[in-house]
Amino acid sequence: MSSLSDISIELLIPEIMMIIGILAMIIMPNLGDAKIRIPLTNTSIPVLIGGTRFNQVNNPYIPSIIAIFTFSLSFIVSLVMIQGETNGNVGEIMEINQFTNLFSLIFTSTLLITSIATFYVMPPRKDPKIPKNSDSIDSVSTKINILMNNRRQVDFYILLSMVGLGMCLMSKSTHLFLLFVSLELASLSSYVLVGFYKEKDIGGEAGTKYFIVGSVASAVGIYGMSLLYLWNGDLQINSLSNSWSSMEILDPMAGIGMGLMLVAFGFKVGAAPFHLATPDAYSGASSPIAGLLATASKAMGFVAIMKILFIVTLPEEGTEAYWMIAIVIISVITMTWGNFAALTSDNPKRMLAYSSVAHAGYMLAAIAAIGSGLGTQNSNILIITAVIFHLTILVLFKLGAFLVLSLLEKEGLSHNMDGLKGLARRDSTIAVSMFIFMLSLAGIPPLSGFLSKLLMINGIVNISAGTGSLSSATILNWASSVNIIFWLAISIVINSAISLFYYLRIGLIMFFEEPVSSKPLEKSIYLRITIIICAIFTILFGIGPLSEILLEIVNEAAQSLV
Amino acid sequence: MDQVKHEYPLLYPLIPILLLAPFLKIIGWDSVDAAFLIVTVPLLIFPTILIIGQIFNKNKVWKNKWKEGGILALGALAVSLTIALWILFDYLYGSYNFTDQSILTWFEWITFDFLQSDFTISEEIRIIGVGIWIDQVTLMILFVATFLCFLICWFSMGYMNTDPINEDRNHRFYAEFVLFSMGMFGMVMADSFLWLFIFWEIMGLCSYLLIGFYYWKVSAAYAAKKAFLTTRIGDVFLMVGLFILYDIYGSLDFEVIFDDPSTGVAGALVDSNQLFWALLLLFVGAVGKSAQFPLHVWLPDAMEGPTPVSALIHAATMVNAGLYLVARMVPFVDVHYNGVSGLENLGIIIAFIGGITAFMAALIAFVQNDIKKVLAYSTMSQLAYIFTGLGVALWFYNTDHHHAAMIAFGASMFHLFNHAMAKGMLFMASGSVIHEMHHAHDHMNNEGSHDHDFDPQDMRNMGGLASKMPITATAMMFGSMSIIGVPLIGGFWSKEGIIAETWKAAIEYEPLMLIPAILILATAGMTGFYMSRMWLMTFAGEPKNDVVNHVHESTPWIREPLLILTVITAIGGFGLALLDIIHFLSADTDHLEMHGFLYTLEHAFLPSDMTTRIVGWTTILLSFIIGPLIAARVHGGKLQKGMKAIVPINWLVILSSKFGHQDVENMSKSQFSEALQNRLYFDDIYEYLISKTIIPFANLSAWFDRIIIDGIIKQVESISVSSSIQIRKITTGSARDYILMAAVGMISIFILIWGVNA
Repeated sequence: MSSLSDISIELLIPEIMMIIGILAMIIMPNLGDAKIRIPLTNTSIPVLIGGTRFNQVNNPYIPSIIAIFTFSLSFIVSLVMIQGETNGNVGEIMEINQFTNLFSLIFTSTLLITSIATFYVMPPRKDPKIPKNSDSIDSVSTKINILMNNRRQVDFYILLSMVGLGMCLMSKSTHLFLLFVSLELASLSSYVLVGFYKEKDIGGEAGTKYFIVGSVASAVGIYGMSLLYLWNGDLQINSLSNSWSSMEILDPMAGIGMGLMLVAFGFKVGAAPFHLATPDAYSGASSPIAGLLATASKAMGFVAIMKILFIVTLPEEGTEAYWMIAIVIISVITMTWGNFAALTSDNPKRMLAYSSVAHAGYMLAAIAAIGSGLGTQNSNILIITAVIFHLTILVLFKLGAFLVLSLLEKEGLSHNMDGLKGLARRDSTIAVSMFIFMLSLAGIPPLSGFLSKLLMINGIVNISAGTGSLSSATILNWASSVNIIFWLAISIVINSAISLFYYLRIGLIMFFEEPVSSKPLEKSIYLRITIIICAIFTILFGIGPLSEILLEIVNEAAQSLV
Repeated sequence: MDQVKHEYPLLYPLIPILLLAPFLKIIGWDSVDAAFLIVTVPLLIFPTILIIGQIFNKNKVWKNKWKEGGILALGALAVSLTIALWILFDYLYGSYNFTDQSILTWFEWITFDFLQSDFTISEEIRIIGVGIWIDQVTLMILFVATFLCFLICWFSMGYMNTDPINEDRNHRFYAEFVLFSMGMFGMVMADSFLWLFIFWEIMGLCSYLLIGFYYWKVSAAYAAKKAFLTTRIGDVFLMVGLFILYDIYGSLDFEVIFDDPSTGVAGALVDSNQLFWALLLLFVGAVGKSAQFPLHVWLPDAMEGPTPVSALIHAATMVNAGLYLVARMVPFVDVHYNGVSGLENLGIIIAFIGGITAFMAALIAFVQNDIKKVLAYSTMSQLAYIFTGLGVALWFYNTDHHHAAMIAFGASMFHLFNHAMAKGMLFMASGSVIHEMHHAHDHMNNEGSHDHDFDPQDMRNMGGLASKMPITATAMMFGSMSIIGVPLIGGFWSKEGIIAETWKAAIEYEPLMLIPAILILATAGMTGFYMSRMWLMTFAGEPKNDVVNHVHESTPWIREPLLILTVITAIGGFGLALLDIIHFLSADTDHLEMHGFLYTLEHAFLPSDMTTRIVGWTTILLSFIIGPLIAARVHGGKLQKGMKAIVPINWLVILSSKFGHQDVENMSKSQFSEALQNRLYFDDIYEYLISKTIIPFANLSAWFDRIIIDGIIKQVESISVSSSIQIRKITTGSARDYILMAAVGMISIFILIWGVNA
């Protein structure tokens, strides 16, 4: 067992940066002129913590600046690590390779964008005024709001960094225990973030619900892990994998343990029927946080699922994984449920929540295809590439859509479709960007959402279409003999068609209806730039040389996973 | 007389563009590396103009200094022109070896690498790249397109920006204009039929937008629609043709197809019948784009657009696209190099369509009074010459008469060049006339009180303009001479070749070719008539309307393109003929080489081949002597007393009045003339046919769509919505229910797993 001192510390730079960021955020606002008097003397020495704050740190902007700075640094470091194809081990509990590097990039970019958006949704103000008796009720409440926003800046960004830390560690862990702990670190922080605006009923309720359901899922998951521990005596993923492949018939202990963990991670990715709390959570949380849940948190769940399903339980080529049928059915239910529920949602956040449930269904379908054992190593990598690619570009358009809602949130318009009415007339750039995001979510070429869906469907069809008996004369015979996996592809296609309805409705509302208010949207310059960048990359990653580059990176990541 | 206000200082921002090519050369680029700029710069300028124009509309600086985007557009086109010239220069005199690398791939826009793991698709099919293909034909058309687009853009700044009807709309014009140019450049340089088709369609879209530029005029909107739909018919055929080609060769890349056209995918021998249909369908696409019989009806109506658009669409670019496509068919039929034999009929069909169109268009042009419509029909007719020439060339190629084929092909391409230059100039000159007439008319009526009955395009309102508009009149004279084929000027050098080769094919080998041969020979004489008629009606004789007396040639930006093109039209044809351009264009030689002056003249006037000589002299007689003579008898005349035209054209005015006057009043009332006035009833026939066939079918489809398709969709929608409402009821909002559902889900999972594994 190697100690932390003799491993190369540079492998964990993104995480270490976040820890430093958290510490800085804790310490900075508390720096003050407090002195301690040495007993029995008159000399007092400054301890720097406590007392009256220094002027330099008496600035509500500090936490957000530290957070943005930290996340951008970690983002750049992750990029460099991908570029340098960094890999290595930390102890026996973490492994760094292209797969984890890519996910570090996904997580840090999501957090970076989230913190930029939060900077506008929960803006800090310099020199807040204290409400007086003579003020009207309205101005009192605004002043209190400003004071509260200033007060909780630190809390918010610390929690956000915690989420990032948990996610990055989780993707790197090769030990189920570390995996679980870091998953919980991220999850617990995100429950608080969901209910962060406790003065609003909806926020507190959403956070509580999300926490209750989430803790049930966690309890189930940890119970499953304990069963696995009983069975194997070790929670090292490689060791589990070895025992699994040497197992003759399915040991009930291992099977149940694995199934229970699947339930826990199913909750994280929002698979039906464990997804029910997510729409509530998304609509209760502020838009940037909802975006974070829909992208990074989802990616985290999929990393966990891929780790336990592909590394541990994947049987050799040609045999079906024991969980295949279960995932097939879950994925069909998930995508159908998500799409149908999204159809009539009046709340854009709920609509996006259901849409992300549907997307989870698509990705689960791809995972089920790998479990079918029909494909070769290469075709499996192809499908995993599709899934990871989808998770990567979701950061652009799913989060981008939530960013647009963040812009509206300041006016209190993000909870109803009415808020999007006539957006094109109020601000055409933002409306066009939103439309691009919606089209990409629907999978319209040449946007990146199309490419990922194409890759997924292509992968599934590639391995399954050949299974139908070609000799049979009629198409019906072929249809009845083809592997069930093939129908997953069909189901994705049908569901995509249904989903078009509600994605395009957003476009209809934005471009053809009268706006509720005619005043232009707030400037929010960096948020606006971020939205536009997301929109541009949504296009660039869909077609042309840039998409090739990304696909190559993702392909490497997929190869290093399996 | 007003002095022309020059606005050259506005062009100062564009001066750095002149240094672009030397700069790129210094930093080590090859001309071919820079070729992508020809397309990308206009492509980027298109949204720039549109967005800036939208934001700064009505802004003083934008309007006066940037000409509402005109300067930006001109800059983009200047970049394209500079680099095109650089490539041309490199090709002719540079060290770059084009024969090895005439195909460059810039980037692969879609690779299917990631889509396949087990199924291996062959290398060629997998990659759909964007590349450039450069050979002599590309270079020539690229030069014509970039050069003319540049000049027309220059011209537009005079024509469009001073016209009050375009108030604050010009940025739209320039944006569409630049996109259109981009489409043409891209189409010419594309290295696969797929990209050719994509750019082709971009052009189609832009031509729709540009023809309908005055969309609030009913006639313009109608014309735009008509042009779009008519060319669309051709495009559908073209697309099917491309499908068949893909089926044969498994790729649409020139590199793959032209490498060996006789073997298709996986080395299979190509069936000449199948290829014939593919090429024929491609040709139908070309017919639509180049406005040939029977898909010619859109072109005269397209004159509703602003004049620079007509010039652009007709002379420089769009109509040449069809010719370019047909020119690309040569490798398929060239039996000398791996071509597929048995495609003679293709050449005959193309020649027939060409002959018929040439004759018909010239006939209709006899009676047109709208100056732009005369030019439109003339365009149709001249393009038909080129088609005939190409048809003959394809026939020769396919029957292994390599030398004759090369001459026919080279002459056709050369005619394309001459015609583009001359016709571009003619359209601009006609634009100048219309513009000044319009201004004079507005001026006369005290600015504002618009008299809508007055048509500034009608030649019956003109006459005697030679003294008022010397530059325009000179330009138009040289342009008309080139189109007519007056010896030594422009079109003469190429038209002779086409007619001679057609007759040669008819007399020596294939009697069927006699019909196109006779038709185009007759057309040569008719061209002489209607072009002379147009010039004389406009510039000679006494003014037929008061307005003429107020006309001045005073708008800035209009003179320079006319002068440049006049010089090129006047001596360019001869100069290139001296350089033996015909053999260069048909890929016989790699370099232009200087021939002796006398040799060239002898070659043109006293060829050793007896057929060629007779045909050549007959053409000259018909087009140069008889046609203009009749025109002069009908429309010639002295200028008004006291008016005097400048020397280069004065002789023509005086000469035209020498032949006495013939009254044709009766002739113009004949039934035949009426039929010509109505464009031989083609539009009526088409309209009738459409109302009898397509409209009922469309009604049926609409009914089917409304009742069946919509019905199903409505049903699906209502089911979806109701199930959506049902499914949302499960989300009760109570955490207890959520946990219950999760528990149910968990148990179901275990039952499933157990069920499968037990």
